[in-house]
Formats: sequence, structure tokens, C-alpha cells
Amino acid sequence: MSQWLTLFQKELLEMWRNFKWIWVPITFILLGVQEPLSSHFMPQIINSLGGLPDGAVIKIPPPSAQEVLIKGLSQYTSIGVLIIVLTTMGLLSGERKSGVAAMILVKPVSYESYVTSKWVGAMLLMWGSFLIGYLATWYYTGILFKWVPISDFFASYFYYGLWLTLALTVTISLSAMFLTSGMAGFLSLAIVILMNVVTSSLSNWMEWSPAQITTYANKLLLTGKIPDSLFPSSLLALVCTIIFLLVGIFVFKRKELASS
Amino acid sequence: MSLIEIKGLKKSFQGREVIKGLNFSLEKGKCTALIGPNGAGKTTTLRMLSGLMNSTEGTIVFEGTKKGDDIRKFIGYLPQFPVFYDWMSGIEFLEYVGKLSGLSKKVACERALHLLQVVGIIDAKKKRIGKYSGGMKQRLGIAQALIHRPQLLMLDEPVSALDPFGRREILELLEKLKKETTILFSTHILNDAEEICNQILFLHNGQLVESGSMEELRERYQQSRIDIIFQNNEENYKDVLKGLTEVESITSEGKQLRIYVNDIELARREILRESMERNWPLVKFEVSGMTLEDVFMKVVGK
Repeated sequence: MSQWLTLFQKELLEMWRNFKWIWVPITFILLGVQEPLSSHFMPQIINSLGGLPDGAVIKIPPPSAQEVLIKGLSQYTSIGVLIIVLTTMGLLSGERKSGVAAMILVKPVSYESYVTSKWVGAMLLMWGSFLIGYLATWYYTGILFKWVPISDFFASYFYYGLWLTLALTVTISLSAMFLTSGMAGFLSLAIVILMNVVTSSLSNWMEWSPAQITTYANKLLLTGKIPDSLFPSSLLALVCTIIFLLVGIFVFKRKELASS
Repeated sequence: MSLIEIKGLKKSFQGREVIKGLNFSLEKGKCTALIGPNGAGKTTTLRMLSGLMNSTEGTIVFEGTKKGDDIRKFIGYLPQFPVFYDWMSGIEFLEYVGKLSGLSKKVACERALHLLQVVGIIDAKKKRIGKYSGGMKQRLGIAQALIHRPQLLMLDEPVSALDPFGRREILELLEKLKKETTILFSTHILNDAEEICNQILFLHNGQLVESGSMEELRERYQQSRIDIIFQNNEENYKDVLKGLTEVESITSEGKQLRIYVNDIELARREILRESMERNWPLVKFEVSGMTLEDVFMKVVGK
């Protein structure tokens, strides 16, 4: 356990030294907050750009606070996932490629600890940044629109987090398999996009797909009721996460650290 | 008593056999050099011993351990090109690997400071490793290999990357460490091996072609040699020298002729008499013994 903590502390320190603890949360704040701001100030923005021609009538119904939050969340599942993949894809492949993994693992360090310490470190960064960013979004939505109940905020935060966790774990797992981080990143994005596409095009058969969590969480926000399939698909997301993590550890153990 | 025993060790990469069955054991407290030309399989062998690479066949048994035990805690390993976390300072890295090796925070810190002192980079302890020079990284590499007082210290080309001063210092350091721990190091610099090692393993094309202590090897390959340098072109004299009864073979090395002879006494008389009669312009005439280099050339040339 103390060895795991040592590895984990090193991860936290590294993320601090390379400023991940600063730029990832800030990016997440900007990503989310832009939604309530741009929705609220849309008329002013249009005016400052020269306004509409005389006589043109466009009626845009003001969005509800929930809709603004959902728009913000959609930023996290697109650009947010991209950022998560970019910050995670090199964690294992980079260290193995540079050779520093061999320096560490020639010491009596357990491979499981080595991989999971990185996984937990990346999770902490993701959940933390997402919390800060989404909280800011919720706050601005509250000021500019209406206050969404904090319990709904936390529920949607949690379920979206599960989906992001799966994306992150896929990336870690692929990072264990490939020496080039670019390859790991590309394939992770491909898998996430594929899951989304398959789920939305075959939605009748994909009721329990992990990719549906976000849809269900949106429903939860809008109606305040828990959709039937939310729990099964969340459970499936958790199971997938664990499988990807185990596969990642397994592959990492089997790979030779030094190749020639 | 042997600390580690290797039997029938083989390694293939994509069907190509790189290590073709090694058998040897390392004796406790001895310093052994793994010698061989580039591509002989030195690094691959060390990587298999350190557990970084799996062997295709064969066994590696560490004294006092059962099959399946983690032998990494007994081993300190320095790869040929050590890599660190560039954002850490030297002392941070040593404390980190120390704690990973099971030392308490306090002990790891003391040990790190001590080792930085020993390898001579204590002044740079707070500097980021990214700013270290190649020689400093090599020293840090040796320090990290020693952090948990391993029973077997394995070093892959520890001095090849260093300047003459650094080389000298590291060799002196190894000389000191020899008393505390068993050392196995690979090198292609034969002088270094000759200087500090008790045991020599010659690796060539993935096979152990020769092994033994320095004295044993000298005895086995004993052959007397006379080196001669002439003022003018040495090729002029080769034929006459070859005709002498005591001369076995001649090789030239730059301007120098190496004459391998049967009986040193008779050969010396014969060659000197010949050069007197023919009035040869000798610049250097030296009777020399076998160096490791000669053994190396002979063994590898086989």
C-alpha cells in the first residue's frame, strides 16, 4: 500500500509540475461557462455585429436553465473527451517509450500498482476538473437564467462522470498496448465515437449502452425523473471500465519493457 | 558459492536466435565482466537477468529463492542509457526509487544523500534532472541502482559514455563497491575489465565462447609475443621474419609488427641476431605478455 501511495504521489506531483492541475480545470471552466454566457447575451451579440436587417423577425425562445446546462454538458462529452484523451494517452506509452518505465519496474514494483496509480491520478484530475468546470457552468446558469436544484446538478455530474471515466479508462488501456501515444489517442477517440454512432443509429437495441448514459442524464435534468434504463447502462459502463482496466494491466504485464 | 545460476538461457526475436544457450554462474563477492563485440548479446543477457525481458528458454536461479519469487529486490540495474523523470531533482528521484524499493521515507532520504555524495553529484541534488549532463545522469544511474543495497549490481556499459576523468572515478567507485556486493558489468573496453574484474565472460554471437578468471585465461592463451617497430616500412621485413623457425605468426598493427613465437628466449636471440646481420633499423623491440585484448581477438576470431 505504501508503495502504491508513493507511485500515486508521484503522479500528483507530476501533474502539478507540468501544470495539468491548472490548465485542465481552466479549460473545463471555459468550455462549460461559454454556454450560459453566449445564450444569455445572444441578442446583444447579434446587435453588436450589425444587428438584423429592418423588418426581419426572428423569434428565438429563451432556453430553459436545464437546456443551457445540457448544452454545457455536451461540450464535455465532445471537446472534454478530447482533452481527457490528450492528457491521458501518454501516461503509460510515453514512459515505456522513453525507457523510464524500465528504470522503475526493475525495482520491486508491482505492475498493478504502477498502472492503477496512473489511472487513479488521471481520474482525480478528470473528476476534479469536471466538477470545477461544471460547477461554474451551473453557477452562471443560475445567475443568468434560473437556479437548477443542486441535487440535479450532482446527479447529472455523477452520470456524465461515469461516461467520461469509461473514455479515460479506454485511453489508459490503449496506452498500455501501444508504444506511440498518438496511436493510443487516435484509437481511444475512434472507440468512443464508434460507441456513440452505433448507439444512436441502433438506439432500439442499444437501450443499455453506456453511451446512452448522457441521454438519460439529460432526461433526468429535464424531467426530474430517473429513466428506467439509467441504472443498467451505468452499471454496464462500470463493468466496461473495469474490463478495460484489467485488460490494460494484463497487456502491460505481458509486454516486455525493453525491446530491441 | 554462486549467487545466481544461469542454465540454458536462450532468447529469440521473431524467430532469430540472439542468445543461443548460456550457462554460467556468478560467484558471491566477485566482480565479473561481460565482454563481447557490439551485437554479441550483452545487453539482452543483462535485461533477461534483471527481469525486464523474458527468456525464450532456460532458467535463472537466484540463491535462496524459489521459483516465482520476485528477484528484483536483490538486483540493482543500470541500463546502457538510463532515463529519468526530467522534472524531478536528483534527490527526489533517488528518494522515489528508494521508497519504491521498500525503504522508509527517512532511510530513503539518508541513503539518497549518501549515494549522491558517493557518486559525486551532491552539489546538483536540487537541480532538475533534465538539466543534468550525460555524465551526471550516468552517476545518478549508478546511485539509483545501489539505493536498496542490492546483492547483485548489474551495469550495462557503465563507463562508455563518460570522459576519461569520469571513467576513472567510476572505476574507482566500482573498485570500492566490489567489497560490498557482487557486480556484473558489460563493457567493450577491455582495459576496464582487466583492471577491476576477477571473472571474465566472453560473449560472441550469443554464445559464451570463453570464461574464467584473468589468470586462467592468461594461462590458457599464453603465447609469447614480440612487438617490433621499424624506422621504415615494416612490410620489407615480414618475409624474413616469417622464415624464422621460432616464429609462429605475424600480424601488423599500424607500424607495429606483432610476432607470436614458440619460445621467447630462442626467438629473441634469433630475431636480434637476424637484425644485427641485416642491419635493420629497429625503433622498438619489446617482449610482451598476453593482454585481454589478445585473448579477445583470439576468442572472437575463432
